[in-house]
Amino acid sequence: MPDQQSNQQSEQHLDQQSEQHSRPSRALRLGVAGPVGTGKSSILATLCRELAGELAMAVVTNDIYTDEDARFLRSAGVLPTERIRAVETGACPHTAIRDDVSANLDAVEDLEEAYGPLDLVLVESGGDNLTATFSPALADAQLFCIDVAGGGDVARKGGPGITGADLLIINKTDLAPYVEVDVAAMVADASHARDGLPVLALSKNDPVSVAELADWVRKMLERHRSGTHVPTDPGPMAPHSHSHDHGHDGS
Amino acid sequence: MAGLASLLLGDGRLPVGAYTYSAGLEPAVAAGLTRDRIPALLKARLHTAAVTEAAAAVLALRAAGRDPVDYGPVQRALAARTPAAPLREASATLGRGVQRLARRLDPGHPAVTALTGIRPRPLRPVALGALGAVMGVSEEELARGVVYDELQTIASAALKLLPGDPLDTVTWILDAEPHAAAAVAEALAVRSPAELPARTPPLTEQWALEHAQRERRLFLA
Repeated sequence: MPDQQSNQQSEQHLDQQSEQHSRPSRALRLGVAGPVGTGKSSILATLCRELAGELAMAVVTNDIYTDEDARFLRSAGVLPTERIRAVETGACPHTAIRDDVSANLDAVEDLEEAYGPLDLVLVESGGDNLTATFSPALADAQLFCIDVAGGGDVARKGGPGITGADLLIINKTDLAPYVEVDVAAMVADASHARDGLPVLALSKNDPVSVAELADWVRKMLERHRSGTHVPTDPGPMAPHSHSHDHGHDGS
Repeated sequence: MAGLASLLLGDGRLPVGAYTYSAGLEPAVAAGLTRDRIPALLKARLHTAAVTEAAAAVLALRAAGRDPVDYGPVQRALAARTPAAPLREASATLGRGVQRLARRLDPGHPAVTALTGIRPRPLRPVALGALGAVMGVSEEELARGVVYDELQTIASAALKLLPGDPLDTVTWILDAEPHAAAAVAEALAVRSPAELPARTPPLTEQWALEHAQRERRLFLA
């Protein structure tokens, strides 16, 4: 039986931590969102492969059918299986990362209590749509993932994840020639929509882009630890107006 | 007394993780329950699990009002009346969301601090008793909130599991009124943890055990 006193302390400790984002001793909670099939689980596997040697990590997945993504990650062998937890979302993957994050917070806190101190907890959203983003009550920072196979105009269409996530990933760039998408134009569209926030063209088969992704996470972790990163909420809706918006005259 | 608080208690949008729970519907559907049998399931739950849960919540609310606060007797009595381990675990998981909310509302309240460190974690009715104390609801409001939540949890989960016209669910709930009122009255009449009714529906327990073994689930129980 665990010692009751230490349980009490850790429970209060974790609770304080969840309400203080800048506290450097707590792991960085990095959300990975994006539409279904764009490669979120693959990004998690890539991050685990690149960073698990230097950082203490754990993963929480959210699925419509409970543990599909968790099973994929466990079978990838990139992290000890017990460090990968699946959250039941009652078929509400959008709610679980935004409107009511309690089930995810439970999972994150359990992992921190069992394997802590951790440096990085990755939280994968259930494959939803362009409007699903993480509440800052759950994620300190978030990636939003789209892919070239979804069409070159996705970045231009926008949405809160595309415009406001801490990092936008345009994934599967190696497929671009086969789906007739101009990656450079897609990156330019995305950068335009994001007001200077970073955009990364990624392929798991392109080691340079993978290294850039890992570096971005390391830098975010540094900012989290130093208290200079302020979690921001991309919001559930695209902004109504934007400094770079085109006018209504069709220009 | 606490008009809005009692409404919040029964509101499925209260952010305590309740959307992860189907109150036994998903396991029942897996065992063959069809949509036309949902009203019968609601009635069955109101005569069984809902009475035990509501009575335990009322006992916890009473415990929360004493000095010192000791949830031990009601937590143990409820655990003893919940023989299927997956149901105890689901209750503790849901209780954790309720506890998180109570802690946010009033971290220093004796009803809240008494929850800390209870292992296994406080079952949901125990945490609801604490939340009820923090929000200032009456015993009757709490019991009705628990009973209503049972109905609405099943009705909402039915929209995912046995889809149909959402308006039907309102009729199911309104038709259950006499049974719901009886469950509330019965819960309020329980005077001590020793008297907590042991209403364990064997099929519900069996289905819960089977559900815990499945890999593709929408709901935790």
